[in-house]
Amino acid sequence: MVALLVRLKLTLLRNSLRRSVWRTVGLVLAVAYALGLVLVGLAGLVALRYASDGLTGDVTVVAFALLSLGWLVMSVLVFGVDETVDPARFALLPVRSRELLPGLLAAGLVGVPGLATALLGLGLVLTWARTPLLTLVAVLAAPLGVLTCVLLSRAATSTLAGLLATRRFRDLAFVLLALFAVILAVGANLGSVVLGPDPQQLRATLALAGTVAAWTPFGWAWAVPADVARGAWAAAGVHLVLGLSLAAGLVRLWWHSLDEQLVSVSAAASGGSRVGGRGRVDRLFPDSPSGAIAARTLRYWRRDPRYLAGAVGFVIAPLAILITQLVNPAGGGGVAMLTPVLLAFFVGLSVGQDLSFDGTALWTHVSAGVSGADDRRGRVLSAVAVYGPLLLVLTVVAVGFTGRWALLPAVVGLSVAVALVGLGAGCVVGALWQWAAPPPGANPFQKGSSGGLPALLSVGVTLAATVLGSLPTVAVALGSAVLPWLGWLVVPVGAANGLVAVRLGISRGGRLLDRRWPEALSAVSEKSD
Amino acid sequence: MSPCVKSLPAPVFTEAMEPAVRLAGLSKVFGTKVAVDHLDLTVRPGCLFGLLGPNGAGKTTTLSMATGLLRPDGGTAEVLGHDVWADPAAAKARIGVLPDGLRLFDRLSGRELLRYVGLLRRVPAATIADRSDQLLEALGLTADRDTLVVEYSAGMAKKIGLACALIHAPRLLVLDEPFEAVDPVSGEGIRSILRNFVAGGGTAVLSSHVMELVESLCDEVAVVARGRVLTSGSLDDVRQGESLQQRFLDLVGFRAVGEDTLTWLRSSSD
Repeated sequence: MVALLVRLKLTLLRNSLRRSVWRTVGLVLAVAYALGLVLVGLAGLVALRYASDGLTGDVTVVAFALLSLGWLVMSVLVFGVDETVDPARFALLPVRSRELLPGLLAAGLVGVPGLATALLGLGLVLTWARTPLLTLVAVLAAPLGVLTCVLLSRAATSTLAGLLATRRFRDLAFVLLALFAVILAVGANLGSVVLGPDPQQLRATLALAGTVAAWTPFGWAWAVPADVARGAWAAAGVHLVLGLSLAAGLVRLWWHSLDEQLVSVSAAASGGSRVGGRGRVDRLFPDSPSGAIAARTLRYWRRDPRYLAGAVGFVIAPLAILITQLVNPAGGGGVAMLTPVLLAFFVGLSVGQDLSFDGTALWTHVSAGVSGADDRRGRVLSAVAVYGPLLLVLTVVAVGFTGRWALLPAVVGLSVAVALVGLGAGCVVGALWQWAAPPPGANPFQKGSSGGLPALLSVGVTLAATVLGSLPTVAVALGSAVLPWLGWLVVPVGAANGLVAVRLGISRGGRLLDRRWPEALSAVSEKSD
Repeated sequence: MSPCVKSLPAPVFTEAMEPAVRLAGLSKVFGTKVAVDHLDLTVRPGCLFGLLGPNGAGKTTTLSMATGLLRPDGGTAEVLGHDVWADPAAAKARIGVLPDGLRLFDRLSGRELLRYVGLLRRVPAATIADRSDQLLEALGLTADRDTLVVEYSAGMAKKIGLACALIHAPRLLVLDEPFEAVDPVSGEGIRSILRNFVAGGGTAVLSSHVMELVESLCDEVAVVARGRVLTSGSLDDVRQGESLQQRFLDLVGFRAVGEDTLTWLRSSSD
């Protein structure tokens, strides 16, 4: 059974690679990335051989506890990555959970994250191979830690399977993942600013973190060699017992939920989300095809997690810069004042990927004979309704905190120009290239979700065209640095620049779309599985 | 296509005498697989037309090309006298489509979706509100009209799709597998809607592989296999005195499983 399930996993992996060249490239990149991280980790672990036992203990316990936590969080949020994991698939076969369990465990280790963790576990043994006794302890503790990682993810996903399969949770998970990225980006920035370069303080913080991590369930197994190295035999014993009982408990939990899942196939109950009868959104736009498209897209901003996650992605960079600048205002706030322009720079991307996000539902537009210009105009309207207020708030916050009022007209003019030019560019680019994006609620990391070459072209060309198209306004804005009175000219120039570009984009993109509606539909419905 | 129509003065009745659908030499190749192979088909106006064929016969591909969703590699498609690919706007305005296997904008509620499709087709908002209430009532979706379509069952999704196809009062309905996953009660509701639609002068083309359903509902049928029309005409012409099921199997070429095969399936061998 073990060999069968591992072989199944490998076959699934191989077949998913056969489907397209881009997927192979994607996997190769993922493996290269993971391998790079593992090599860095291994190099760090080997380097730690030259550090004191105490430092090695703190660093390894914190790092490996985070690794275990990562297994738990990522597997819950990204549920469904591993096709062999879903026990519901085995519900119709006459197998018992006892037979499945070892095989599923082994299958969990096969694959990029499993192998990477196993390699890092080997690195831990290398770093602790200082005395024969420590080596022996590490050889025992490292596999226990690796095993606990896999068990954590399996026990959690199969216990929560019913919840994880609901649409609401998948939507939430998608946004949580995006937020996770923001917190990492902003947190890393803040961390470096707050902690500072004081090594004494850094070491104290690390020691505290090491102690805390060692007493969380994620650190129990990893802490055993560190305890032995310190000579803290009692702590080592307690950690070992706790780690072993955790693993045993997780096996029992997993086993139990596996038993349940093998008998009841579909645990996912539909929530039945209802919406209000008459929407305010409808009154925001006229009763026309473009108004309907604007209203529909605006609703999707709230109901389709991909839109929200996308917006979060666009806001990350400006927000990270703004917060860092506010905490540590070294440059006098000039950079912070540019954050609205930075956000405006990304606005066009949303229109560029709109058709792909619609997926095969786009047939509705093709079949209704919606004109390309109406389609483009509707999507521009909804993007303005979303990003307009966001830009306004960002501008007010930036100028309010930095007090650089003299820069305000230039910033407003530039933001308006860049945002509108971006929307115009997005209109044309969105009509040119489409790809099959995963539908709402599907796993964002699933096979072929990147969109491949068309998605890359879409982003690259939109951003390049945005820069080129905004040059007139940029020129005037730069001129205002020399001749301050030019500053007030940036607003009208920017507005004119942007309006011309967006009109041009709507008409050109619309005509392009009129010619290739059916091709666009074929492009978004290209089966990725 | 009845002979008496031809003698009438042409300019006045152009639309009435035009076939509802005329496909000539329609072809589509996906990679190396020929999905539709120089297919010719004519559908008389005012009839309920059934398109039959085994899985992979090219039914969906044909209907997609006839409704402007998929560009053919060759041949022409006309709907009520308008070339679908030369003048798509005129043709699409007259067709209501229910495709199979394509998503809907399912993060809208049933009522929002109907309003959306109606507005895209430039139906006045007041008319949409009126019609969607009636359609939701007729299809038994009134209780779920404010539920997101993504939460609908497969059968309910088919029904809201049908309502979307009807919202602009088309002259021609093209329905791909309209009865799939629909329960018998709702199925009867759909049948009566289709019969009323045809009685009022509309034309409906539907694909299916349920013979009994087509036999009891359609006036004319065509059997398609391997991208070509094997036979087409009125139900009786096609049946030639046999049951539609038997005739279909004869045409498509079915080989019965002999007595000697799969013997291990018998309980006694256990």
